[in-house]
Amino acid sequence: MSEFFTVSVLVATLAGGIRLATPFLLAALGETLGQRSGVLNLGVEGVMLIGAFAAYYTALETGSTVAGIAVAIGIGAVMGLIYAFLTVVMHAEQGISGIGIFLFGLGFTDLLFQKQVGTPLPIPGVGKAPIPILSDIPHLGEIFFDHNPLVYLAFLLVPIMWFVVNKTTFGLNVRAIGQTPEAADTLGVSVNLTRTFTIVIANCFAGLAGAALALEVGIFQQNLTAGQGFIAIALVYFGAWRMPWVMSGALLFGVVSSTVLQWKTLGIVSGPSSSLLAMAPAILTILVLVLVSRRVSAPAALTRPFDRAG
Amino acid sequence: MTDTDRAVPMLQMEGITKRFPGVLANDSVDLTVLPGQVHTLLGENGAGKSTLMKVLYGLYRPDEGTIRLDGEPVSITSPSDAINRGIGMIHQHFMLVPTLTVAENVALGLGGRAGLSDMRPVRQRLAEVSERYGLHVNPDAYIWQLAVGERQRAEILKALYRDARLLVLDEPTAVLTPPEVEELFVTLRQMTADDKGLVFISHKLHEVMELSDEITVLRDGRVSGQTRPSESTRESLAELMVGRPVELTRNVAATERGEQRLAITGLNVIGDRGNTAVKNFDLAVHSGEIVGLAGVSGNGQRELADAIFGLRPIRSGQIAIDGEPVTAPTPRSVRQRGVAYVPEERMVEGAIGDFTVAENLLLVDYHQPPYTRRGLLNRSAISSWCNRLVENYRVKTPDIETPTKNLSGGNIQKVVIAREFTCDAEVLVVAQPTRGVDIGAAEYIHERLLEQREAGAAILLISEDLDEVIQLSDRVVVVLEGQIMGEVDRADATPRSIGLLMSGVRDGEASASAD
Amino acid sequence: MRKQSRTFTLLLALLAAFALLAAACGSDGGDDGAASDDGDGTSATEPAGDDGDDGGGGDALRIAVVAPSASNDLAFTQSMVDAVNAIGETRDIQFDVTDGTFVVEDAAAALRGYAEDGFDLVVAHGSQYGGPLQEIAPDFPDVSFAWGTAADTFGLPNVYAYTVRADEGGFVMGTIAAQLSESGVIGVVGPVEVGDAKLYVDGFAAGATNQDPAVTVNVNYIESFSDVALAAEAATAHVGNGADVLTGSAQMVVGATGVATESGVAWFGTQANQTALGPDVVVASQVYHWEVVLADIIAGIDSGTLGGEVFIATLANGGLVIEYNDGFGLDDAVRTAADATAAGIADGSISTGIE
Ligand SMILES: Nc1ncnc2c1ncn2[C@@H]1O[C@H](COP(=O)(O)OP(=O)(O)OP(=O)(O)O)[C@@H](O)[C@H]1O
Ligand SMILES: [Mg+2]
Repeated sequence: MSEFFTVSVLVATLAGGIRLATPFLLAALGETLGQRSGVLNLGVEGVMLIGAFAAYYTALETGSTVAGIAVAIGIGAVMGLIYAFLTVVMHAEQGISGIGIFLFGLGFTDLLFQKQVGTPLPIPGVGKAPIPILSDIPHLGEIFFDHNPLVYLAFLLVPIMWFVVNKTTFGLNVRAIGQTPEAADTLGVSVNLTRTFTIVIANCFAGLAGAALALEVGIFQQNLTAGQGFIAIALVYFGAWRMPWVMSGALLFGVVSSTVLQWKTLGIVSGPSSSLLAMAPAILTILVLVLVSRRVSAPAALTRPFDRAG
Repeated sequence: MTDTDRAVPMLQMEGITKRFPGVLANDSVDLTVLPGQVHTLLGENGAGKSTLMKVLYGLYRPDEGTIRLDGEPVSITSPSDAINRGIGMIHQHFMLVPTLTVAENVALGLGGRAGLSDMRPVRQRLAEVSERYGLHVNPDAYIWQLAVGERQRAEILKALYRDARLLVLDEPTAVLTPPEVEELFVTLRQMTADDKGLVFISHKLHEVMELSDEITVLRDGRVSGQTRPSESTRESLAELMVGRPVELTRNVAATERGEQRLAITGLNVIGDRGNTAVKNFDLAVHSGEIVGLAGVSGNGQRELADAIFGLRPIRSGQIAIDGEPVTAPTPRSVRQRGVAYVPEERMVEGAIGDFTVAENLLLVDYHQPPYTRRGLLNRSAISSWCNRLVENYRVKTPDIETPTKNLSGGNIQKVVIAREFTCDAEVLVVAQPTRGVDIGAAEYIHERLLEQREAGAAILLISEDLDEVIQLSDRVVVVLEGQIMGEVDRADATPRSIGLLMSGVRDGEASASAD
Repeated sequence: MRKQSRTFTLLLALLAAFALLAAACGSDGGDDGAASDDGDGTSATEPAGDDGDDGGGGDALRIAVVAPSASNDLAFTQSMVDAVNAIGETRDIQFDVTDGTFVVEDAAAALRGYAEDGFDLVVAHGSQYGGPLQEIAPDFPDVSFAWGTAADTFGLPNVYAYTVRADEGGFVMGTIAAQLSESGVIGVVGPVEVGDAKLYVDGFAAGATNQDPAVTVNVNYIESFSDVALAAEAATAHVGNGADVLTGSAQMVVGATGVATESGVAWFGTQANQTALGPDVVVASQVYHWEVVLADIIAGIDSGTLGGEVFIATLANGGLVIEYNDGFGLDDAVRTAADATAAGIADGSISTGIE
């Protein structure tokens, strides 16, 4: 155990945790916004896969990771419009349509990958971009300021999204329609338009999250996300629909995962106990967040479609 | 009056017709409102009052008819359209977001500088408006923290903040206490003094007589009369509404009080905000008596009723039915002991909006014969029973398969009452049974309550309506802050004696302070 | 409410159709890919009626494969797809694949479907498919099933099992790794500690320490066959802890090879030739040539035996081949020594020490 508590290992563990957290943090931020407006999207995983493939394939063909990111976000927006049409316009049941989107994303990316790419070919991915000066700070620099730009972006988006939800009129509308859409409606707030917006934004985030994953590992393969989209949804619940808590949850999950990895790498744990330990990130994150946030309840109108009678 | 008679009407609704599937909610209705006037809409539950106002507010599109504002024909297509034209509406059911603050509720939908929801200017202007109309409420309090009266004020502030010139108040007094109603009327008079036009809806005739300049009565979606307080009496108004003479006062014969049914000893219950909402409460209700529990709402009545019915855990103390203590009560176990409950929040606890009328009528008994046989619902038994209830309790609904949320507010109440009064309970806990219920239906509900009393039920009547409490109760118990302030017998129960207790003055103290 | 539920049913149907379509196309894609992989796909799917002179059976042999990951995963599934295509070069077969069935229920449905369609040989390519296979096989006594990697035929007369001595190639590559490593630290990224992955990892570690007892082999089973990001992070952790040679098993290692390339550390592949994943860093790959095993199985079927035997791919029978990446520039002496080790294992003079 002592070999774990050396500065370099701890630094690597924390930096690794931040890297691991990035994709599901991005997805969870978007999903938080969507749920605050009363829309549940279980299709995050599927949209992440689509975003991941889009980013990978674009980068493979054009050699440009920036183009890859842009395409992933754009495809996310399209998926958002589809989901908004299903749930906001058609009033489809949100849980089922989300699962539909997930299955679609899973099958569709697999199909495209096999047709268009075939064998997994590595792409350059987004390289590290150490932040000048800050990355020179001993230890802290390596933990926080020596990552790829998408990592910075994800964490920068936390205060931005917090600000949007809590300090803008759009955010006020979102909070209102997720709770009491009828009240917002009587004040002239368009419930369905606002929800369409939040859904599109949430899906753009999911697409970006997929891109962050594919460009970090520099490859695509079937089911690349391996459940990260569902982790993101869980984080939204256990983070009690608050951006900072969702981020804390994502970080906790990432750091515990990377701690477990380090322990195994260092041979601190092995055999059956290491299999058990693989569940630690999920269990620990849920426990902590539940303890912190148990008094907050879900947006009252979550999953409830809105329609004015008459 | 000649002055206002000549003024251009600020609102003219002409020939408004609105149909819902199976219902003609408004049938060629006319309504004219002059600036500086209170125009009251009267009518039974389901007469179409709220519908007419929702048409005005852009929530429903009329099938026929025209609306003129200041003489100009307009088409109001959405609430924001209505707001922009200076129309404000206080809805029958609160339209507030409980998780937002008062200021945020007010600012909702207004936009802000650079898209930011900066509350400072909102707070400032809100303070001015509050000051002018005497509507005091903390702008930074969350709605869920507020008492009902404060919520009502927040609701009104929302409209005034938007410079509404024409304000619709759909049963604003239904949930208010008498002192709160007085305060509200002061505010409303200030508004008419500012030349605002008001449409006022209420089932309480003395309020209507006190406040109105003009009265339009609706029956079955049609205008059944137009009058003024000076030209009418409460009886004549009631007759216009119901279409037959209505007995407004009633003499209740004393009955023999029987055995003790419900006994509450040393009860303490924790409220939503962590406070002790019910403190060391002792109360007994006997077979064949109605005990009225009077008090301004929010003084623990709700928590008490919830606790009796197993909806809220008990901190300490005991509840016994027929001498046997109820341990770990749940709604089902309490019901099996013969307790029925008409909750105050009928939309939340009493009925399920998405269920049909029939399903709501059977919520309690559905699993018993004859409605269920061998696990299967018996359709014909159900529909004949439900149709009988709908007829007896005069629930206005196209059919028993209509979703309950489409009924008017008062009719939802009747559905809950019909269900609870017909399940042969020995103990009845009834909260605000006639809140928002029209005169005819209130009369009917009162008769049914007395009938239950005759039949030997022990009834705990929780009500803020002093007239109702005094008329029906054999004893009146007054609560304040979760504790019993005093008890008054039928003979001594007067609005004054109870009103004093409600405001916290005991007999002895009253005379002491008179010294 | 009623209206809503109707929309909802419609939607459900639509989405299901959509997903099905995507899934169906997916397996088609696998087919095409596989067929074109072997250079002349036509020979593999040539209609049987065309050549009446086809020796033994007269009909094309119909083979189906159900596998958990993608046909082109450069790992487990691809190794079997390539093998069937190799068989197709020498005899007339009709070949169908359902890949990506990491959900066992889906795989069960596919297995049953192929059996009902009258395929001659249905390959359940995944140890996790044993349960369903045990139920399905008795219902189709005329169909031969093959299950791997596994060493158990459930005592059923129409089930073959096949497995691989992945430790053999692992051992050989381990000896090379120990010689390449300057830091003396080698990192392994494994999926779950079972099956051929465990064999490979154990063999690799044994080979490395056998070569140089001072070498440390850190093994990290990430408990997932699919989490690419975690595999990448595990590789990063290894590198951070001083590893300058990496290896790993199963399809999620595509994450780890990226890290190897990025940090310029040597990589050893297994299951399929992984040179494409890291042309600069892949030293060698242990490639599974299931066609050796398949040939034995098909010979059995031809002679009327539909199962009951276990076949093992080894260095000796050519079921395992170590393929070097010429682009890496491995020292000739090291390679010659490795070839000698491989020959020793094949003739039994060297033991990996793994059971
Ligand atoms: N959205 C709707 N869909 C169908 N029917 C409706 C709808 N809203 C109202 N109705 C019906 O229209 C009629 C008039 O209802 P409305 O709410 O206007 O009555 P009201 O006069 O306000 O009664 P109350 O005093 O009980 O509030 C009722 O029969 C009601 O059931
Ligand atoms: Mg109404």
